Amino acid sequence: MDVDIVCAGFGPAAGGFLTTLTRGLPLADGTLPQILCYERADDIGFGVSGVVTKGRGIRASFPDFDPASVPMAAPVRSEKVLYLLDPVGASRRSATLRTADSLLRAAGVPEYEAFELPHIPAFLEKHDGLILSRGQFNHGVGGQVMMSGAAQIWPGMPVAGPLIEGERVVGVQLLDHELQPGMEIRAALTVAADGPVGPVGRQLDEHFGLPEGHEKREWAVGMKMVIDLPESCPLEAGTVLHTFGFPEPEIFGFFYVHPDRVASAGIFVPSWFDNPVRTSYRYLQHYLMHPYLWRYIEGGRLRSWGAKTLNESGRRGEPHLVGDGYARIGEGSGSTNVLTGSGVDEAWTTGVLLGEAVLELLTQSLPFTKENLEAAYVRRRRASWLEEESRTAEKSRDGFHRGVVPGLIGMALAGFSHGRLHIPGAPHEHMPAVADFFSEHLDADKIEAIRVETAAAGKPLHDALMDAWGWPPIPFDGQLLVTQQDALLVGGKVQAAPGYADHVVFKDESLCASCGGQTCIAICSGQALTQGETKPAFDREKCIHCGACMWNCEHGNVEFRAGAGGLHSAEN
Amino acid sequence: METILVLLHTEAGAPVGKAGLEVLEAARGLGGDVAIGLVGADCAAAAASVAGAGRLLAVEGEAFAQPRYATDASAAEALVKAAGAGIVLAPATSRWARCLPGVAQRAAGRIDTHVTGLNDGTLTRWYYRQRIEASLRRAERPWFLLLEAGIGPAYAAAGAAGAAYERVTAEPGSRTEAKGVIAPQSGEQTIKPEAELLFVAGAGWTKKQKDGAVHMDRAAELILGMLKGSGASLGSSKSLVDLSGEGHAVLPFLSHLNQVGQTGSTPRHAKGLATCCHGEEPHVVGWRFIQDRRAVNLDANCGWARGKADVLYVADAFEVMEELNRLLG
Amino acid sequence: MSYQIVVCAGIVPDPLQTLEPVSTPQGPALKNEAMLPAVLDPWAAHALYEANHLAKNMPGSKVYLVSLAPKAKLQQVLMTIAQKVSFELIALDGPSTGFTDSHDVAAALAAAIEAIPGLDKSRLLLFGGWESAARAAGATLSMTGERLGIREQFQGVDSLTVGSDGSFEIRERVEGGKHLVSQCSGAPAVLGWATGNLPEPPNSPQVGMQNMRTVMPALQKAKPAGVAVTQQYASVALPKQQRSTRIVRDVAAAEVARELAQWIRGAH
Repeated sequence: MDVDIVCAGFGPAAGGFLTTLTRGLPLADGTLPQILCYERADDIGFGVSGVVTKGRGIRASFPDFDPASVPMAAPVRSEKVLYLLDPVGASRRSATLRTADSLLRAAGVPEYEAFELPHIPAFLEKHDGLILSRGQFNHGVGGQVMMSGAAQIWPGMPVAGPLIEGERVVGVQLLDHELQPGMEIRAALTVAADGPVGPVGRQLDEHFGLPEGHEKREWAVGMKMVIDLPESCPLEAGTVLHTFGFPEPEIFGFFYVHPDRVASAGIFVPSWFDNPVRTSYRYLQHYLMHPYLWRYIEGGRLRSWGAKTLNESGRRGEPHLVGDGYARIGEGSGSTNVLTGSGVDEAWTTGVLLGEAVLELLTQSLPFTKENLEAAYVRRRRASWLEEESRTAEKSRDGFHRGVVPGLIGMALAGFSHGRLHIPGAPHEHMPAVADFFSEHLDADKIEAIRVETAAAGKPLHDALMDAWGWPPIPFDGQLLVTQQDALLVGGKVQAAPGYADHVVFKDESLCASCGGQTCIAICSGQALTQGETKPAFDREKCIHCGACMWNCEHGNVEFRAGAGGLHSAEN
Repeated sequence: METILVLLHTEAGAPVGKAGLEVLEAARGLGGDVAIGLVGADCAAAAASVAGAGRLLAVEGEAFAQPRYATDASAAEALVKAAGAGIVLAPATSRWARCLPGVAQRAAGRIDTHVTGLNDGTLTRWYYRQRIEASLRRAERPWFLLLEAGIGPAYAAAGAAGAAYERVTAEPGSRTEAKGVIAPQSGEQTIKPEAELLFVAGAGWTKKQKDGAVHMDRAAELILGMLKGSGASLGSSKSLVDLSGEGHAVLPFLSHLNQVGQTGSTPRHAKGLATCCHGEEPHVVGWRFIQDRRAVNLDANCGWARGKADVLYVADAFEVMEELNRLLG
Repeated sequence: MSYQIVVCAGIVPDPLQTLEPVSTPQGPALKNEAMLPAVLDPWAAHALYEANHLAKNMPGSKVYLVSLAPKAKLQQVLMTIAQKVSFELIALDGPSTGFTDSHDVAAALAAAIEAIPGLDKSRLLLFGGWESAARAAGATLSMTGERLGIREQFQGVDSLTVGSDGSFEIRERVEGGKHLVSQCSGAPAVLGWATGNLPEPPNSPQVGMQNMRTVMPALQKAKPAGVAVTQQYASVALPKQQRSTRIVRDVAAAEVARELAQWIRGAH
C-alpha cells in the first residue's frame, strides 16, 4: 500500500507530530497527504508512564490547556525531594551512606525514616508543571487527530520494521499474522516514533549505525502502580514526591497525586544498578511499604500497574535523526533529559518540531531527502531548548558508575554548571555473577541449594535470593500488595492478540543453558520469562513489551522482535 | 388491584415444572390478582397442577407447541391483553427469553431481565453480567420480568385435576418451523446441566509446564478422564476456548458452549473445581452460582482464587489429576 | 440473493476491567467509566463477524453497524473494529451505560435504522448479540426488531445457513448445551448471536482504510440520542462474595487428589 507519511508508534512524540502536522492540513493549495500511524498496543494510550512534567512543549501546543479536561491530570501544587533511609536493614548501602544514615538518625531527623531536602535544585523542580496520565492524555490527543480526518491512527497493528532500499527508507513492513502476511506500507516519509525498544528505531540503528561517539548504553526499567488512596490520605492532588535511597540507593522513586484520591507510585531500576537480582516488582513493593509512603497508602487499592524501559543515554544515545525518507522523534531519538529525568514533554516537542518541518517541506513541495530533513527538522531541533538542556544533561549521570554518592554529586555539578562540569565514569562491562555478588552474605553452596530448590519448585530464583539476603517477605493483602501475576490482571489484563509469533526469541540456546545470571528472568516486568529446561520459557500473554530482557542479556542473546498487545489499561 | 400474569409453557400431559412454580409463588407474593397464562398444544395437565393459584388462561394448539418467536410472542401478547396484566412474570427459559422483550414492545411496556429477587414491587437484577446487582422499581406498565431459576420457593399445588381454564385465541402464523433439538457435539456430552460438579479447565493446561514444554495431549487425556470418572460438566475459561477456535492445537472437545464466566455462561452446580485458572473469570463471574468451590492452582497468593474459592490447593494440576483420575477410576 | 445486514452493537467496558458502580445525578454509572478501555459488546462483535461472513458469500449484500455510544469513546473502539471487517457506520451519540432502559435504546436504534437511505425491509437482517456485557439478554435487539415490524426472531444463534431458495436454517442455543434447529423462510429476520463459530478476524490495514471513508463522517454527524435512566433505582452495588479460603499448600499431589476424590464423591 502506498501512502505519503507513515509513522511507527503512537506515544507522546507521535502525538506532538500528528497534532502539529494535521493542524496545518490541508495545505493552502488543498493538498491533503495520506498519513497513517500504526501502534502495537490494542488501543492508543495503553503504554505506561504517569508523568510529572514541566509541560512546556505540551502547553505550547495547547495554550489553553486545562488539566481538568483530561482525566487524572492536575497542576503541580507541592513538590518534595526525599532521601529515604532503610527501615528493614536489607538495602545495600555504601559506607558513606551508612555514615550519613547514622548521622541523620542521631540527629533525630527521620520521623518516617525519610529526610526531606531543604531545597530542590532548579534543574530538578517541576513547579508550574503538570501531573498527567500519559495514557489519558494520549487518548485525548489521538481522538483529536483522528477527528480532524487528516491522519489515521491504527492500534493493534504492530510494525515489524523499516523497509530499507539501499540507503533510503521507503516505508514500513507490518508484522506477519498467521492468517495474513504483514503488508508493506510504502511512504515518502517514514517516522520512527516507536520508543527505545521499538523495532523500527532499533533496525535503523543497526543499519545506519550511530553517529561518531554516540552510544546507547544506559537503560532503566520504570515500573509503577496506580493506587486508589484510602480515605484517610491527606495528600492533595498535585503533590509530587521524588525519592532516592530506598529500596536500594540506586533506585529512584516517585509518588504523584492525581485528582479524586488516586496516586501513581513507582521506581526506576537503572542499568548501573549492578545487582543481577533486579526484580523491579518486588523492589516496588518494598518501596511502597517504606514508612514514609505506607502511611499514605495503607488501606488503598491497586488500580493498575505497568512498566516500560527507558533509554537513559539521553543525547549521547541520539541516533542519526534523519536520512533519506525517514526521521526519528521521541525517546528513541535520544530526547530524554537524563539530568531532570524528564522525557514526555521532550518527546512531544521533537514531534512538534518534525511536524513543523514536514509542513514546511510539503508547502514547498520538497522531497523528504536527508538534506531537506536536516534543514527543516534537525535545524529546528538544534535551535530548541531541547538541545540546550540535553547538552547540559549529557554527561550528568556518568558519576553513577562510580557509586551513588559520586553519581548524585555529578548530577549536581552538571546541573549547576550547565553541563560544563561532571564526574566521569565508565559503565560496567559485565553484570557480576550471582555467586560473586552474594558472596558476602551467602556461600556458593547455599546459592546452589537455593537454585536447585527453586528450579524444582518452579519458583523464581531472584525472589528466593532476596529472601536469603534479608528482604522481608511481602505480606500480600489481595488489595494493594498482590502477587505479580495478579498485578498483570488488575485494571486490564495484559493482552496478546492471537495469531502472532513469539516476539522474544533466544538466539543461541546453549548460551542460555550455561548462563548463571539469568537476569532476563529476574528483570522481566511481567513474569513472562520463567525458568525453562535449557532456555527461559516465554509466555507471550504476560509480556508488556518493556524490552528489559533485551538490554539485560549481557550475551546479547535476546532478540526482541515486534509483537502485538501488551498492557491493556489507559490509566497509566 | 393490579393483575399479575404468570406466563408458562406447557408440555402435553405434564404438570408445570419447578422453575414455573417458583415464578408463580413469586407472583403470589406481590399481592395482586394472579392470573396464569399457559401456552402449549394441550394445557390441561399443566392447568390442573396450578389450579387454585389464580385465574387460568391458555393459548392452545399445535402451532403453539413449537418453540419459536412468532407464535410464542403472539400467544403471550394475547394473554397479556386478555388478563389486562400490569405486571407479567415468566421464567428465564430460552423460549421466554427469546420472545418476552418483543412482547413488551408490542404492549408498549418495559422489561427487566436477569431478575433474581422480587420484593414488594422492587426487583433485584443483575447488570454487567452478574457483576453488579441493582434493585429498582418502575412506574411504567405493563412491566415484564424474566425471572432467573432459584428465585424463591416453588408454589405447592393444591388444586384438583381437570381445573377449567379460559381459552384465548392468538395469531398462529409464522414463517419459521422448529425442526428439533440436537446435541452440539458428537461423542461424549461435556455439558451436563444436571451434574453435581462443574469442572473448569483454565488456560494453564495449555501453557508450558515445568519442563518448558506444552503437554496438550496429556492435558486432554486428564480432563476427559476426569469427566468420565466424576460425571462432571465441563466449563472452561475464555482464553482457552478462544485458542480452540483459532486453529491452535488445543483441546479438541472444547467449544464456546463450554465457556463460563464474563462472556460465557453462569451455570448452577452444587460443586465447582477450577484447575489451572489464574485470574480467569470462573472465579469472578462463572462461579456466581456454584455453591461449594475448590481450586487447584500453582500460586498460593492468587488473589483471584482467594476469597472466591472455599479451598485453594497449591499444587500441580497435572500431578493431582493423574492421581485423582486413578481414584475416581 | 442479497441482504441488508444491520448489526446493532453497543460498546462496553472491556470485560477484563474491574467495575464499580457509583451514583450520579443522572442515575447509576460505573466509576471512571470514561477512562475504562472499551470494546464492542462481545456478542455483538461476533454478530458483526457473522454479518461480514454472510455478506461476503452473498454478493450485493451490505453490512451496516449501528451504535449508540459516547462519540469519543465509540471512535476509539472503532479504530480497532474498523480494521477487522467492512461496514458502513451509523453512529448515535449517547450514553452506553447498561443502566439506561432497553426500551429507549431500541427506540433510538429503530429510528436510525428506518432512516437508512434505500432501506429495503424485505432484505433486512437485523443482527446483534443475544447477551450483552452491559444490560440484558437481547432485549434491546428484539425490541428494535419489533419496532421495525420483524416478527421472525432468533436468540442465542450459533449458525445461520442460507438455502438455495433463500430459506434459513438457524441453530439457537437452548438449555442443556443443546441447539434448537429451526427453518425460516428467509428475510426479514432478527438474529441475536451467541458466539458463532468464526474466529476474530485479524486487523487489516486495507479494511481499516476503506472503512474510514464512512466512519469519521458518521461520527462527525452523529446525533444525540435521547436516552436517559428512567428506572427508579433503590440500590446498585457489587455483590457480596468474599469467602474465607482455606489454602492447602506443601501437600503432596496424591494427598490433594485423595481429598478431592472424597469431596467429589461426598454427598453435598
